[in-house]
Amino acid sequence: MVHIRLTVNGKTYGLDVEEGVRLIDVLRDQLRLTGTKEGCGEGECGACTVIMDGRTVNSCLVMAFQADGSDITTIEGIAKGGTLHPIQRAFLEVGAVQCGFCTPGMVLSAKALLDKNPEPTREEIREGISGNLCRCTGYHKIVDAIALASSYIRGGKEDGTS
Amino acid sequence: MEPLNIVGNRVIRVDGRAKVKGEALYPQDIYLEGMLYGKTLRSEKPHAYIQVEIEEGEKTPGVVKILTAKDVTGQNHHGVLFKDHEVLCSERVRRIGDPIAFVIATSEKAACEGLAKIKVRYTELPAVFDPVEAIAKDAPKIHGESNIIYHYRCRKGNVEEGFKNCHVIVEREYKTSMVDHAFLQPEAGVAYWDQEGNIVVCAATQYPHFDQLEVAEALGLPKEKVKIINPAVGGAFGGREDITLQIHLALGAYLTGKAVKAVYSREESFYAHAKRHPIIMRYKTGASKEGKLLAMEATLIGDTGAYASWAVNVMRKAGVHATGPYEIPNVKIDSYAVYTNNPFCGAMRGFGATQVPIASEQQMDILAQALGMDPVRFRLFNCFRVGSETANGQILHESVPLERCIEAVGQRLFHGLR
Amino acid sequence: MKKRGKGMAAAFYGTGYGNGFPDVSTAKVQMNNRGQVSVCIGATEVGQGAKTILTQIAAEVLGLEMKDIRLLCEDTDTSPDAGTAAASRQTYNSGNAVKKAAEALKNILLERAQKHLELPSAHGLAVEDRQVYLKAYPKKRVHFRELVGEEPIRVEASFVAQTTPVDEETGAGAPYWPYTFCCYGVEVEVDTETGIVEVVRGVCAQDVGRAINPELIEGQIDGGFAMGLGYGLMEDLHLVQGEIKHNRFANYLIPTALDMPELEKMIIEDPESTGPFGAKGIGEPVMIPVAPAILNAIYDAIGIRFYEIPVTPEKILAAIRKRKKEGNCGNDFER
Repeated sequence: MVHIRLTVNGKTYGLDVEEGVRLIDVLRDQLRLTGTKEGCGEGECGACTVIMDGRTVNSCLVMAFQADGSDITTIEGIAKGGTLHPIQRAFLEVGAVQCGFCTPGMVLSAKALLDKNPEPTREEIREGISGNLCRCTGYHKIVDAIALASSYIRGGKEDGTS
Repeated sequence: MEPLNIVGNRVIRVDGRAKVKGEALYPQDIYLEGMLYGKTLRSEKPHAYIQVEIEEGEKTPGVVKILTAKDVTGQNHHGVLFKDHEVLCSERVRRIGDPIAFVIATSEKAACEGLAKIKVRYTELPAVFDPVEAIAKDAPKIHGESNIIYHYRCRKGNVEEGFKNCHVIVEREYKTSMVDHAFLQPEAGVAYWDQEGNIVVCAATQYPHFDQLEVAEALGLPKEKVKIINPAVGGAFGGREDITLQIHLALGAYLTGKAVKAVYSREESFYAHAKRHPIIMRYKTGASKEGKLLAMEATLIGDTGAYASWAVNVMRKAGVHATGPYEIPNVKIDSYAVYTNNPFCGAMRGFGATQVPIASEQQMDILAQALGMDPVRFRLFNCFRVGSETANGQILHESVPLERCIEAVGQRLFHGLR
Repeated sequence: MKKRGKGMAAAFYGTGYGNGFPDVSTAKVQMNNRGQVSVCIGATEVGQGAKTILTQIAAEVLGLEMKDIRLLCEDTDTSPDAGTAAASRQTYNSGNAVKKAAEALKNILLERAQKHLELPSAHGLAVEDRQVYLKAYPKKRVHFRELVGEEPIRVEASFVAQTTPVDEETGAGAPYWPYTFCCYGVEVEVDTETGIVEVVRGVCAQDVGRAINPELIEGQIDGGFAMGLGYGLMEDLHLVQGEIKHNRFANYLIPTALDMPELEKMIIEDPESTGPFGAKGIGEPVMIPVAPAILNAIYDAIGIRFYEIPVTPEKILAAIRKRKKEGNCGNDFER
């Protein structure tokens, strides 16, 4: 057992975790933040993407002890109360969601991208989500959504209202 | 067309909001108080008799029960068309990945430890991996007397006569590969007893009512005692048509009285569900000097692997669609579904109709080139229209806008009809 | 050297189980006295949009908004059998079942409205805004809540698709209905040094009968294109003696966002009289022409035809080397 401290979506937790437990296991099994998905367990699909200290990580590749002291954002921490984040809103509006299993990881990759580069080109968006696999959408509407979200955010409609 | 208010609009999908918020519940997201975890032991050999010793496994701390074929309370079988799968293999495995035992433990870790202690003695049998070899009389048999499960025949007109009148004839052999649906959500599920004394299985499936029948039959229960809950499904594409973990979970819950959960790894997912049939396609297609298709002959050999799944329907659909969307007066098609010791194949997006155009549409381009015709024009010259008759003799009496589709692509991509 | 080429493929696809097999979808529709409607139908939402499409159909028939309708498909206890979410059949089959059930419910409302409004006939009555009204004299109207008592109105309807078995010797018959048609074209760039094929453009003309939801159709075209691209160029389980060697996403490669070209998507409408509002299924057709169009484009680019998929960079390079060695002119027909 190791004791770790994590800040997840603004809330700080002290947790005892077994050895060999990954960040995704802590998030899902202990904190029941099941919005973070496991698609492959080896960092290839990006479904488990979370933002750790400002950077996206595959939470299936991060051991829980490695996350000690870090600040984590999961899909559950993106919306402000009942109001969707502009990225979430854009995903909904342009039909970027199908089965939805890749969606949380995609949204977080998009957030990390837009936080760094508020006005990405379509090519930069494709680069930014190239670590996230989607089998349903062919990525087009996801790219459309991120471009739209970029305009929402730059237009100051951070709260997603227009 | 009648004016409509909601139909025809870009309505936002009703399940979208929960999905963008990460609130949509997939089966792996379900956690129940005191639930147990299941792990499947799978065959490492493609064709063998097996003897299974579970004693050491059951002694492993945390292991509650290990299910083998003996524990199946109803019929030890399932299958969408033929009941040729066993829930858990009793005597023989027919492919790598066949389920042999299901370990139920208080934690996933304990289940894995218990699984590692199960001993399987394999007595290997000759195996066959090539569908053409599998057709031979002396090939190892996978089920019963013959490896040929199905032979679809289509006979229209007279192909010999048709080919005599052809100016060009193109004969080629094509092969497609075995591929996976690779939906993002690996199989997962939870089964439990509800308060009314029914067995409930929560799992992602394409057809809950069929799963209900299969689970009931395997457990030996009337179907009313089995309920399937189908929460969010993380993609399917045909890969969730056959049973994977539903019966194992149901049986586990039925026999232990506790909730049982299982989540497949990506690697196990690759072994657990059906694949797309690889098909060997021998084509002979002929056209007149003017570019009219006159005759086509095709032999399709589909490898369904160790189990039939939808093989009959897939190879029928392949056969029906083998001409491509063109009028051909003389057609002879033979389409076979064949058992081998490969992973089993079943439904995948397009269901046989996806494989055949790899051949038929290349035949079209090769013929067009041989005739010195533009491939757009060549297709337009032969394509189905309202009133066309398919190779089956079916009349396409309405809604056949294929010319419009071909013209649209011709104009947009090839800058007008050359 | 990078060489460009264009190719196309056309396809048809017959919806449903086919071959005479009973292909049935059943829907239950219920309305309470607040005008809230639930539609119960065991048609799985696999991501294709079944729940949205079926809700749209019910809303259209009953003159309601999307939010007035709750669609339940997740439980075998509450939702009747609607067949499998496969064979591109849910929009067509289950869409028809929902439409029939919703129309039956609407007819009950109209009959009750006729009595309530003391009209001699139900002709000319229509629904809007949770009310039944007389089109010729819209002031004559009654709210749904006046028409539904304590006991909700419940109706159930089934749709059965048309299909015949095919003759065992000749294949004669009408195995599937309806058929969906499409033609896709692509432009590729083949790098003759690396063997990498990049699809740089796609044009997709897709028959849909009638579009229930263009956004969802475009999403299907995009996704089908990606899957077809993977099928043609990347995906192979690499079986060795029955063992899947490519059993992880590290070696079983599927397309990423960087592999997809921009697509021009054209929705071609030609309503099918037996489809709900004219709609046909498209979930599978959208994948079918992609890989053969790519193969034809590769030939157009480098003059080499590939008879086996996937056409990986290794296969392209091997074929180019072989051609150099054999001095083949590259004319496919004179192979």
